[in-house]
Amino acid sequence: MNDDIILDFQHVTKTFPGVTALNDVSFQVRRGEIHGMCGENGAGKSTLVKILSGVYPRGTYEGKVIYNGKELKLESSAIHQAAEEGIAIVYQELTLVPAMTVGENIFLGREPTERGSITWDKLYAETQGILTKYRLDVQPHDVIKDLGVGKMQMTELAKALSEDAKLLILDEPTSALADAEIDELMEILRGLKEHGVTCIYISHKIEEFFRITDTVTVLRDGKMVTTQPTKDVTSEKLVSFMVGREMKERFPSGNRHPGEVILEVKDLHAERAEREVLKGVSFDLRQGEILGIAGLMGSGRTELVMTIFGEFAKITSGTIKLGGQELKITNSHSAMEHGISLVPEDRKRHGLVLIQSVLKNISLPNLDRFAGFLRIDQNLEVVESLRIAKELAIKAPSLHVPVESLSGGNQQKVVISKWLLSAPKVLIMDDPTRGVDVGAKYEIYKLMNELAEQGIAIIMISSELEEVLGMSDRVTVMCQGRSNGTLNIAEATQERIMALATGLA
Amino acid sequence: MSNSTLAQPISPKSTSLWKVVQLFRQNIQTYTLIIALLLIWVVFTIATQGGYASPQNISNLFRQMSITSLMAAGMVLIIVTGGIDLSVGRLAGFVSVVVAFFQLNRWNTFLPATFPNMPAEVQPAVAALLSVILGLIVGTGWGVVQGYIVAYLRVTAFIVTLGSYFILQGLVLLQTEGKTIAANQPVFSQIGQGYLPAQLGWLFTAVIIGAMIFLMLRGRRNKQKYGFPLPSLVWDVAKMAFFAALILIYVAVVNSYATAPGIPYPVLLLAIVAGVMTYVSTNTRFGRYAYAIGGNREAARLSGINIRKQIFLIFVLMGFLCGVAGIVLASYVGYGTIAAGAGYELDVIAAAILGGTSTLGGVGTITGAMVGGLIMASLSTGLQMLNAPAASTYVIRGTILVLAVIADMYFKRNK
Repeated sequence: MNDDIILDFQHVTKTFPGVTALNDVSFQVRRGEIHGMCGENGAGKSTLVKILSGVYPRGTYEGKVIYNGKELKLESSAIHQAAEEGIAIVYQELTLVPAMTVGENIFLGREPTERGSITWDKLYAETQGILTKYRLDVQPHDVIKDLGVGKMQMTELAKALSEDAKLLILDEPTSALADAEIDELMEILRGLKEHGVTCIYISHKIEEFFRITDTVTVLRDGKMVTTQPTKDVTSEKLVSFMVGREMKERFPSGNRHPGEVILEVKDLHAERAEREVLKGVSFDLRQGEILGIAGLMGSGRTELVMTIFGEFAKITSGTIKLGGQELKITNSHSAMEHGISLVPEDRKRHGLVLIQSVLKNISLPNLDRFAGFLRIDQNLEVVESLRIAKELAIKAPSLHVPVESLSGGNQQKVVISKWLLSAPKVLIMDDPTRGVDVGAKYEIYKLMNELAEQGIAIIMISSELEEVLGMSDRVTVMCQGRSNGTLNIAEATQERIMALATGLA
Repeated sequence: MSNSTLAQPISPKSTSLWKVVQLFRQNIQTYTLIIALLLIWVVFTIATQGGYASPQNISNLFRQMSITSLMAAGMVLIIVTGGIDLSVGRLAGFVSVVVAFFQLNRWNTFLPATFPNMPAEVQPAVAALLSVILGLIVGTGWGVVQGYIVAYLRVTAFIVTLGSYFILQGLVLLQTEGKTIAANQPVFSQIGQGYLPAQLGWLFTAVIIGAMIFLMLRGRRNKQKYGFPLPSLVWDVAKMAFFAALILIYVAVVNSYATAPGIPYPVLLLAIVAGVMTYVSTNTRFGRYAYAIGGNREAARLSGINIRKQIFLIFVLMGFLCGVAGIVLASYVGYGTIAAGAGYELDVIAAAILGGTSTLGGVGTITGAMVGGLIMASLSTGLQMLNAPAASTYVIRGTILVLAVIADMYFKRNK
């Protein structure tokens, strides 16, 4: 047995009724490395994580998992057993208690006690110890709900590390982080490596593998595609491994011809709960154009579009004009009546009623079209919803399955459908490809192109600069609640956008 | 999976046994409930040597469930939107004592004084009508206030209705002055105690079945118009025949109850309310929005739904139904008492929960709640007939409620 290998998957197969989630998967993770793992949604990454966490205990899968030279014998889904073995997992969705402090969260469930009462001094001292050791920039007494996503992520990391983790699994840790926060995370991960912690790094963002990982493993449809040193592959290569075909371009080329200005926002100021969230935003939007809105987290991107949609902050000054007419939008309903639709940022929280069917989700904002006061024409509802679902090529066994049973990409398409059915003039998309795999991203980009070609004006917010550069005709950059300039795509570069976003330019 | 399969579920549910089994699995909860109900009936019928299935008992059983079930129909929507209403029992009680008070002390002086020419024999009918209007106004009015506080002042429904509960209890005491108020005047007492004459009962049944056939045919025609594949006619007819048979059996049984033949008015009222509420909850925007709000409030808000207005209206509707229940209560009991409606809120909530309404919101049906209410009433009457002590009734009903929810979770997990 090679001592350098901390984790060795040997011919692991995991089947569910009707689905093979992992099919004869074998790969090795070397001690102390950062091992990237990628694959589209449904490729088997989460199943793999669940085997390591004990959610699927030994015996429910075939093959062997050797960990630290011994076979991994997790018998139940008790997370503690995995933790005792030194395996820690930081999940994509944060699992912190918002009302508790950093220290309380880190020691949740295993608080140091003395004769039955918690020894708070010890708890906070140990917390400080961990934070210092791994150079995590949060304070033990900070309350989680006052922290940004980045700091929460650090707390999660601290929690995992506090249990003396030898193997740390990060499941899409950056999906909610802004660029600066990602840089910070990368820095921390390099620090962990110095402390001898091995990381398995799961992500949808290809660039990150090249920034941080030593080795990458690609899964596709439950099968191992390859494990290679990261330096031996290119991003194009990696994408082609993931989708099983060569994908020349990540962004489909559109044939867009922006026309007349349709939406004009001038010096918009808005406040919410007596705090000014927009401090002067101006931009215009043309028919058939994709306008990217870039900015760091907290720069007011989402606040801006939600305010235009009538749902977030109260406009204190400035104007919004649609087709030359000044608009007074009071809520989402009136925005929709004016032909403005918004695909919200977080599809699970804001976009979908997960327990309801695809049909009901699509028709929800559009019931006015099928229904009088007394009756919903359910046949018309099906016809219309089916039309849009086909147009967007939503893959679902039927319109009547709950939307929660669909994959992330298809869920996102359902969200887009529900806002597209009303044939909007302006479509605002807040991070439309967040948490969506590469293949589905490409389809969403293609769809955006088609919509723009039909003359719909699209505003796209994105956290990924590459996406902004790849898809927009122009880019408006937000910085601290202000619009800090608009660039034509020809003159836009990552550097120029970042300069505007950080207020340097 | 190709896109074309998207259209499938609206396509035929063929009559093959397999499809029936599939359908059963999909609606496992509804069927589990019905099977549980039938089981309860069989057990009690055997235990009472047939007494349980007698026309007298069947007639009483359904009437007994009607008051709480009227309110359960509204409670489903409240719970579906993620709320709760603890005040319903007390509100119905308050309505009942107010109505009883006016029946006994006011209309008899108000009517002759205001309309001196009114013939004496019409007076009770006019009084009853005024009582109904008054009861509905009191109930709805209370719903308006509660709805306003919950929806627009954004105080949690639990707290508002808990406060309401105490206030109403006080108002009941105030109104009755601790005494019992007779509400057994002619005409008014018919509302809760009367029976639809047998012939009219048959006529009503015929109209209902006729309407069912009409709606089925129209539904098929509309589907055809849109070019949807039609469900098999045999299946549609079988489904309809099943429900028609249930109604026919019920009407035949209650009409054969020698002492007091006919459908009890409260049951008739409940059937109408349940029918309308089922329609509202599934076929109108109002109903759809309620489920969407319960399923994901934020998504509903961003979909352009006026959440506050919706919640407000649901509380108003709940108040209205409490008004209806209160009127029936006063008439059925024949008195307004300090204990009127006490503890009903728990029966109402239990019926809704037993019927599959999720306290997490977004899920629940009126039909389910009706069957839930019937199960609860069936247990009470059965145990009473067996002379079981009242204590055991509570224990058994509580046990059944929790067991039903456990069974439901089990089935859902294994689907």
